[in-house]
Amino acid sequence: MAYPYVSDREVRVISTQFGDPEARTLAGAKQRGRYQGLKTALDMSPDAVVDIVKASGLRGRGGAGFPTGLKWSFMPKDYDKPHYLCCNADESEPGTFKDREIIRWDPHQLVEGCLIGAYAIRARHAYIYCRGEFFEATQVLARAVEEAYADGLIGDDVMGSGQKIDLTVHVGSGAYICGEETGLMNSLEGRRGEPRVKPPFPAAVGVFGMPTTVNNVETLCAVPHIVVNGSEWYRQWGSEKSPGTKLFCVSGHVRKPGNYELPLGFPLMDLIDDLCGGITNGNALKAVIPGGSSVPLLTAEECRSCALDYEGVSSCGSMLGCASVIVMDETTDIVKQVRRMAAFYAHESCGQCTPCREGSIWVTRTLERIEAGRGTEDDLDTLMELTAQMVGTTICVLSDSVAAPVQSSVLKFRDEYLALIRRGERVGTA
Amino acid sequence: MSPKEPMDTPFHNPGWAGNTGEFDLTEDQVRGDDFVGSRPLAGAHPSSSASYPYVLVDKHPESPLFEGPYRERFDKILTRYPDTRAALLPVLNLAQEVRGHVSPETMDRVGELLDLEPAYVRGVVTFYTMYNKRPVGRFLIQVCTNISCNLCGADEVMDAFLRYSNTEPGETSEDGDFTVIEAECLAGCGFPTCVQINSRYYENVKAGDIPSLCERLRADGK
Ligand SMILES: Cc1cc2nc3c(=O)[nH]c(=O)nc-3n(C[C@H](O)[C@H](O)[C@H](O)COP(=O)(O)O)c2cc1C
Ligand code: SF4
Repeated sequence: MAYPYVSDREVRVISTQFGDPEARTLAGAKQRGRYQGLKTALDMSPDAVVDIVKASGLRGRGGAGFPTGLKWSFMPKDYDKPHYLCCNADESEPGTFKDREIIRWDPHQLVEGCLIGAYAIRARHAYIYCRGEFFEATQVLARAVEEAYADGLIGDDVMGSGQKIDLTVHVGSGAYICGEETGLMNSLEGRRGEPRVKPPFPAAVGVFGMPTTVNNVETLCAVPHIVVNGSEWYRQWGSEKSPGTKLFCVSGHVRKPGNYELPLGFPLMDLIDDLCGGITNGNALKAVIPGGSSVPLLTAEECRSCALDYEGVSSCGSMLGCASVIVMDETTDIVKQVRRMAAFYAHESCGQCTPCREGSIWVTRTLERIEAGRGTEDDLDTLMELTAQMVGTTICVLSDSVAAPVQSSVLKFRDEYLALIRRGERVGTA
Repeated sequence: MSPKEPMDTPFHNPGWAGNTGEFDLTEDQVRGDDFVGSRPLAGAHPSSSASYPYVLVDKHPESPLFEGPYRERFDKILTRYPDTRAALLPVLNLAQEVRGHVSPETMDRVGELLDLEPAYVRGVVTFYTMYNKRPVGRFLIQVCTNISCNLCGADEVMDAFLRYSNTEPGETSEDGDFTVIEAECLAGCGFPTCVQINSRYYENVKAGDIPSLCERLRADGK
């Protein structure tokens, strides 16, 4: 089976096996170079592994873009307490569908990444937290882990190095908030997945009260390649501050939606018009959400000059997030889609913080009222006021994520709201 | 209290508008679109109702929860974590696999097995959407209607499932086959609409596919 869509402008580092089931078996994976990185890493000291990742400039692919090497260097440099590595495979940000693809096509790449990560931060046990809905992906991964155990790649003596590293696949039970790193830790401990107040930071007090690092699937998958090929090799792509390649998940109104691995800094319009074959039915572009539903919308005009790296997207007024590009054409009903996103956050708020718990519901109700044609112009001010109070006032940033699409749409697509409020006219059908 | 205290009025609740005779909202108004939130059994997500009146009791609450291969899996789960509390989520998943849903009795049994308070277990169960607190149909159909799928027609897919099964969201069809609910993003955004039926993902589902898909489900169970 050919992977849905590919392009020769892609730079495939971690997505080479997409569409090729051969790499799911250990033998197939080894043939394709998996576990070379682990061998190389085990010959180095843990700190040397951290240094090489630091030098590569790899940034977290889970949304925040925090430098991975730096995060690892916060971990204590001894074995006094047990350390834990948690791999965040709770992928549930609307628009994101890369981690599931990595796991189902190339599970050994992730296993290898986790082992190297665990070795670097001196963890004896790594957990991969998969979201519960991923039955199929979890099975593929669990089989890979079992094979790797049987082959001595995981366990008491990893590749004969004397290192002991265990790996457990843990399955969640359906909650977006368990993707937040402290929510994930609570959930892993068998509690409600409510985020914790920081500090203490996970590197000091994490899961089971021990030093912990949480990393995204894609982040960990990049590590083996960096260890094998060196940090300079990784820096040949992207920019000084955003080096390397990144998976872009394109969805919505494009002819060829899918995952595309590109060097950071790739022009957004090239991605949409060239790689994805343009907008469906040749329609005009209305808006793009460049980084999953938690970031501000960009208008078609703003997209023209947008380069897809952390700085480039920020300078256009949004965020790269986890690089989930949601494309909306002229038929899109912005009010309806923003209401749908707000409803998602209202459903997923864990309810610990008042601004988030109450705010997300009130925002949703107000948007529902506007959508039903019973809104007033004051409602737009109410929305702005409400969301302003939801930013920076809560334990985690889910609350801020509600504000981003709502505020940006009210500012940039005010006409559409007003058409509904003043004349009861819906703009768009989708 | 007035002498002619009407014992036969349906809304008998002193101190509340109902007993002054002013309460004349019709059922339609109460359920109108001003009403935000959904009632258990009237279209809510199966995970949303956890309080007793809405929960059907297990058929054999006394039978052991984990036997044979399930017991082995239970024991294996315990070895993977530094404490027993951490085994709670996977054990609840296993319990749901055995019983089909997580009833209060099941929660109590799991609590006993892991030495956790029943109220604690219930607190955890109610946090997560994947635990069905009441029985669901043979096929639990979860249609992603979040933004990426929604842009590509997820609402029509949802409607088609409801029409085919002749149910409201969250209700089980009369023959016990289908329960249809809206789901949040399933991480299949590039393949819209993404539908999860029991443990399987169905991608690129269009509204027109629903009748044949449902027939097939009924016939071969997958
Ligand atoms: C509400 C919320 C949801 C999140 N969901 C995810 C997720 O599904 N997957 C993920 O990798 N990171 C998610 N994150 C980011 C994590 O908190 C964390 O930053 C990330 O896992 C760190 O890994 P990285 O350094 O490799 O990016 C989420 C954050 C928030 C606030
Ligand atoms: S911001 Fe919202 S989701 Fe995050 S901890 Fe507070 S209530 Fe929970």
